[in-house]
Amino acid sequence: MDTAETKKTPLYDEHNKMGAKIVSFAGFFMPLYYKSIIEEHLNVRNNSGIFDISHMGEITIKGKDAAGFVDYVFTADVSKIGNGEIVYSLILNEKGGIIDDVTVFKFSDSEYMVVVNAANTQKDFSWLRYMQSEFQKNNKEVLVENISDGVGLLSVQGPKSRDLVYPLISEAVKIGKCGLFDFSFKPKQVKDLKHFEFSCAEFKDSGIEALISRSGYTGEFGFEIFVSAEKTVALWNFLLKNSNLSNLLPVGLGARDTLRFEAALPLYGHELDETINPYDAGLEKYLSESKDFVGKESLKNVKSKEKRLIFFKMTGKQIPRHSQRILDENLKPIGCIASGTYSPSNKFSIGSAYISDAGVNPSFLKNFFIDIRGNFEKAEVVLPPFHKKH
Amino acid sequence: MNKNGSFYFSKSHEWVGKDLKDNKYRIGISDFAQSELGDVVYVSLPESGKTYNKNGKIGEIESVKSVSEIYAPIDIKIISINSNLNDTPELINQEPNGAGYIAEVEILNPSDLDNLMDDDAYKAFIVSHHE
Repeated sequence: MDTAETKKTPLYDEHNKMGAKIVSFAGFFMPLYYKSIIEEHLNVRNNSGIFDISHMGEITIKGKDAAGFVDYVFTADVSKIGNGEIVYSLILNEKGGIIDDVTVFKFSDSEYMVVVNAANTQKDFSWLRYMQSEFQKNNKEVLVENISDGVGLLSVQGPKSRDLVYPLISEAVKIGKCGLFDFSFKPKQVKDLKHFEFSCAEFKDSGIEALISRSGYTGEFGFEIFVSAEKTVALWNFLLKNSNLSNLLPVGLGARDTLRFEAALPLYGHELDETINPYDAGLEKYLSESKDFVGKESLKNVKSKEKRLIFFKMTGKQIPRHSQRILDENLKPIGCIASGTYSPSNKFSIGSAYISDAGVNPSFLKNFFIDIRGNFEKAEVVLPPFHKKH
Repeated sequence: MNKNGSFYFSKSHEWVGKDLKDNKYRIGISDFAQSELGDVVYVSLPESGKTYNKNGKIGEIESVKSVSEIYAPIDIKIISINSNLNDTPELINQEPNGAGYIAEVEILNPSDLDNLMDDDAYKAFIVSHHE
């Protein structure tokens, strides 16, 4: 990647001041870790952590026919959710391959916001703009806009994150302007939000208003906070100044990945891409049966799964990495690693893999091998998630 | 070995140093290298008794995010390995120059040390190559 084109989030200077190890990810300079991936990971599981995820994209969809539009471009039943609710969905291409996995926020029947993977923001925006032009040809009113550059996004995750957020926000709720956003519905009190609901938070003393959702990518209780790019530094520092409320630590992308993987949450580019269909990825529950959507027709021809996603743990200590080969007990190649990492919660290595024969019975795979740089390392199939006892 | 008992460094970020207590040479990876790797979770160690040529691969260090090879900084014979690293690989992060050493070695050509960098030269090397 050409570093001249690598973007910075509003918090780039703050990360450097804190001594973060900076890496280029999805076109952005991002903190990989501040001190230690393992320490940051465990602090999210036990206390709370704050992540800069401003690299993620936000795309708005507005207009009289926005409801019909979101139902057509997303696989989930988007328009049916309530105002102030969020739904996880896939965007498929016409062949049924996965363009992206996203969350969609509903403000009203005529206003939605899509939160997309950073690496896919431009691709998704172009695709949604193309769909917009198709709708407009049929005299439908819909407008797709990419507001990513104006939005800072912070994620506060962990069992104690409520101890940080609740005392710092005022209890007032109102219809109307909320930072970058405009609420046409009366939002809930933040304390009353359930998972995948959003509201407006006014942070005490700082004068900052931001959209706040009960959501995240760690498998823990947590919030995501959408604030204007201009106020992102002030909000980040305000929350960290109050870190004693919840033993809050800043967390980099390294622990974001180990946390999401322990929770078996898919990552685009690893478990998902345009060559993988939702059945392969085990995401068929996000395909609506009650409406038409892009890719639905092609999926009818997918008679059976072509691949199967499995999860495993390593017997030894080596870490499996993306795209390494999986071998059966006769050392015949049977698939490829999707994700692999060290699990700080378990202190062993874990991974996911696509097995090319979807009909294979995972119990036959009790023992198989990963080709780690020429060493055949033993692994065994396990059921995720990895961070909670079954 | 210089008078202060400090280390000699290779361009691939290994060190060679003499333990002043038992007068034996050890090798390890530098503090800079461990800080670049992040949390070390696995180390594959060289074989005791085996001879390795300069720049030959003697092992691997795996951190949460990456894997790197460990090279022989000069021609060496392994006397013994630091088997504590099997159970506590994080010693490399905690004490890269001490308890997190890789192996005790015999130096096959003592003059090889002259081709390594001293502390100041290594610091300058890091600045010119990595910052």
